[in-house]
Amino acid sequence: MESESFSIVQQNDHIVGRFTAMASPCEILLETQDLILANHLTSLAYSETKRIEQKFSRYLSNNLMANINHSEGQPAVIDEETFRLLQFADSCFELSEGQFDITSGVLRSAWKFDGSDNIPTSETVKALMSGIGWHKVKFDKKSITLAKDMELDFGGIGKEYAVDCAAKLCSKYAPNLSVVINFGGDIQVTQPRKNKQPWNIAIESPEANKATTKILQIVSGGLATSGDARRFLLKNGKRYSHILNPKTGYPIENSPRSVTVAAPHCIQAGLLATLSLLQGANAESFLHQQGIKFWCYR
Amino acid sequence: MLKKVRIMLVFILFAYLAGCANLGVKPWERDLLAKDEMALDAEGNDLGLDDHIYFSKEATSGGRAFAGGGCGCN
Amino acid sequence: MQLTSQSNLTKQTKKITNVNSALAAATCALLGSASVVQAEESVWEMDTALLYYGETDRVTAVEGVFSAKKDFGDEHVFSGKLVLDTLTGASATGAVSQPNAQTFTRPSGKGQYEINGGDVPLDDTFKDTRLQLEAQWTQPLWDDMRGSAGVHFSKEYDYLSVAVNGSLARDFNQKNTTISAGVSLAFDTIDPEGGRPVAFSEMVVNQGQFANDQAYQVAFDATRQKDSDDKNTIDLMFGVTQVINRRMLMQFNYGYSTSDGYHTDPFKVLSIVNDQGVTQSLVHEDRPTERTRHSFYWQTKYALDSGVADISYRYATDDWDINSHTIDSRLRFNISDNTYIQPHFRYYQQGAAEFYQPFLMEGSMLPTFASADYRLGEMTAYTVGLKYGMKMPSGNEWAFRLEYYQQDPKNAGFDEPGVLQQLDLYPSVKAVIAQISYSF
Repeated sequence: MESESFSIVQQNDHIVGRFTAMASPCEILLETQDLILANHLTSLAYSETKRIEQKFSRYLSNNLMANINHSEGQPAVIDEETFRLLQFADSCFELSEGQFDITSGVLRSAWKFDGSDNIPTSETVKALMSGIGWHKVKFDKKSITLAKDMELDFGGIGKEYAVDCAAKLCSKYAPNLSVVINFGGDIQVTQPRKNKQPWNIAIESPEANKATTKILQIVSGGLATSGDARRFLLKNGKRYSHILNPKTGYPIENSPRSVTVAAPHCIQAGLLATLSLLQGANAESFLHQQGIKFWCYR
Repeated sequence: MLKKVRIMLVFILFAYLAGCANLGVKPWERDLLAKDEMALDAEGNDLGLDDHIYFSKEATSGGRAFAGGGCGCN
Repeated sequence: MQLTSQSNLTKQTKKITNVNSALAAATCALLGSASVVQAEESVWEMDTALLYYGETDRVTAVEGVFSAKKDFGDEHVFSGKLVLDTLTGASATGAVSQPNAQTFTRPSGKGQYEINGGDVPLDDTFKDTRLQLEAQWTQPLWDDMRGSAGVHFSKEYDYLSVAVNGSLARDFNQKNTTISAGVSLAFDTIDPEGGRPVAFSEMVVNQGQFANDQAYQVAFDATRQKDSDDKNTIDLMFGVTQVINRRMLMQFNYGYSTSDGYHTDPFKVLSIVNDQGVTQSLVHEDRPTERTRHSFYWQTKYALDSGVADISYRYATDDWDINSHTIDSRLRFNISDNTYIQPHFRYYQQGAAEFYQPFLMEGSMLPTFASADYRLGEMTAYTVGLKYGMKMPSGNEWAFRLEYYQQDPKNAGFDEPGVLQQLDLYPSVKAVIAQISYSF
C-alpha cells in the first residue's frame, strides 16, 4: 500500500526497507522476520526522514529554512528542534575555531565542483564573504536573526541528524531489535545483533574517479563519511577540493578526498569527518588524536 | 620583536578582560562542576548545624541563607 | 610574526584533543540523550548527623539531624529535615563577676543560685529540648525559571518559630549564571517560664527581707509580664551564582532582614555597680524592638585536581551598629577515590551593639536600651577543625568531624571602676564540636 514511498524485502536473516530521501538511497536493515514490524519501523523512519527533509531542506520554498533564509534581517521564529540544531552547529563552530560554519553555503554559488577548471574570480568570492560568519548570527530559543545577505545551510549535518533521529525512533519503538539505518553511507546501528555478529554493509567508496563498493562490518554505533572524490576543480594541475574554508572563501588545501569515521552517533562521526577535512594536511593527525576509528582516502 | 611581544601581551590582556563577558563553560565542560562536592549546598547538614551554632553564639546570622526567625537558643 | 603563528599552533593542538568528547556531549544535547537512556527511578537521599557541642564549664548541646531529599522527576524536588536538639548547662547571665560571692534568683523565680567570688556569673538552669521541622519543594516554573517554597517550624519549651519562604531562580548564559530572589517571613512567639521581665526591673533576690513567701512572690511578680510576646521577621535575599571556568564557581548574596517585636533575652541582666565597681543591684536588660540587617556574602568554590577549595566571606551590618566580618574556608583533599580529609578554618569578628554595656553605673541615668550579653559585645572567634569522610562500596558515606571553637570577647572601650579591674569581665568561651554523619 505504501509501495511508492518505500519497499520491504526479506533476506535470509533480516529484512531490508528501502526508500529515497535527501538525494540518497536509504536503507533500513532489521534483524527480524516479522514483516509487519519491519514495515512499521521502515514507515516510521521514512516519515521521520521526510519530515526533517521537508523542514530543513534549503531547496524548498515554503519551509522553515526558507523562512529563515528569506527573513531579510528580521527575526525568524524557530522551534525547539531548530534551536537544538543551531546550538549543535554553534558548538561545532567553536570547536573548529570558525572553520565549520553553517552560513558558508552561500559560497556554493561561486564554486561549482564539476571537475572543470572553472575557478571563480577573487572578486566573486570576496563579494560573498560578507554573508559568511556564524558569529554574526543571533539566536535564542524563540527566534533567529540573520543579516540580509546571509543564509543557513544544514547540509553538513542534516542527513546525519536524520539518521540519528530515525535510529532513535526505531530503538524507542523496538528497544530489543538491532536496526541499521544507512542513508547513503551515513550509518547508525541501534544495538548489536543477538548473535553479536557484525552487520555487513555495502558502501560506495571513492577510489580515484571510479566508484567501488566496499563491504564494511559494523557491530554498533555510528559511521559517517565526508568528502567526495568526484567533486573537485582542476586548474593548471592543481586540484581544488570541495571543502571550502569559510574564513577565506577558498578550498582547504591538501585535505583528504574522503574520510570515514566511526563514533557512538552518526552525527558525531559525520562532524569528526568534516572537521578533519577542514584540517587539510593535518587531517590524519587530528583524527589520531581523537582516539577513534577512521579511514582516510587521499 | 620585543615590541610585538608587548603588543601581543596587551592584546591577550585585553582579550582576557573582554572575556569576562563570556565567563562560564560549555555544557560538556561541566565535568568538575558537576561533582557532588562542588555543589554550593554540599554538606548541607554540616552547614545547617554550623549556622545554628553560630546563630546562637554570635550577633550575626544569615548571609548564605536566610537570617531570620529560628529559635530562642542561648 | 613567528611568535604569533607559533602560539596559534599550540592553541590549536590543545583544542584539537578536546574535540571528540566535546562533540559527544554536543551530540547528546542534540539528540536528547535522556530519552535514549532509560530514566532511572530516583531514590530518597538520606543524610543523618549527630552533633555534640560542649563548652568548657558551660553549655552542652546534642543535636540530631535527619534530612531527606527526592527528585520526583523533571527537577521536581522535595526536601525535608528534622532536627532534635537538647541543651543543658550554664549560660552567662550578663552580670559582672565580683570579688565576693553573689546570689541570683533563677529566671523562673523559684529558687536561687550562688556564684563564688571571682567566677563568671552563669545560670546553670538551662535545659531545653527543641524540635525543628522543615519542608521545601522546588520545581521548574514557566519557561526557564525555578521556584521554591518551604515551611520551617521550630519549637522549644518557651519559644515557637514558624516561617514560610519562597524564592525564584533563573538561569542565563547556558546555566553559567543564575540569579535568584527569595523572601522569608518568620513569626516567633516567646513565653518564658516565670514571665518576661519588665525592662530594667531590679532582680528580686530573697535575702530574708520578705515577711513570707507570698510577699516575695508579689515582689517577684511585679517584675514580670505574664503574657507571651512575639517577633516578626521579613528576610529578603538576592543572589547571583556565576560559573567562572571549568574549575571555579562563585556566589554573591545580598540579604536584607528586618525584624519587629521582642528581641530582648528574658534571661539576661546587667549589674549596676558603684564607683568602686561593687555590684549594687541587678536589672533586667532591654533591647530595641526593631532591627534591620544587611549582609553581603561571597563564596567561591574551586575544583582542585583531587579536592575542592571552598572559601567564603561575609560582611554584615545592622542598625544596632553591629558590624561583623566572617571568613570561612574548607579545603577538601581526596586521599583516595573513596576517602578525603577536610580542614576547616573560620574567623569571625564583630563590633559591639550601640546599646551594649558590660555593666551600668550607679547614679547615672538609665539608657533607653541596654544589654550586657557578651554576644552583642565586641569579640573575635575562630574555629579550626578537621573532617574525615569515607565512601563505602555501597555508595553510602560516613564522615567524622572534630572542631575547636573559641570566642574571645573584648572590652569595647569601657572604663572598669575599682574592683572590676582585677576581674576578668571578658572571659573566653571554649567549645569542642564533634559530629558523625551518615548518608545513604
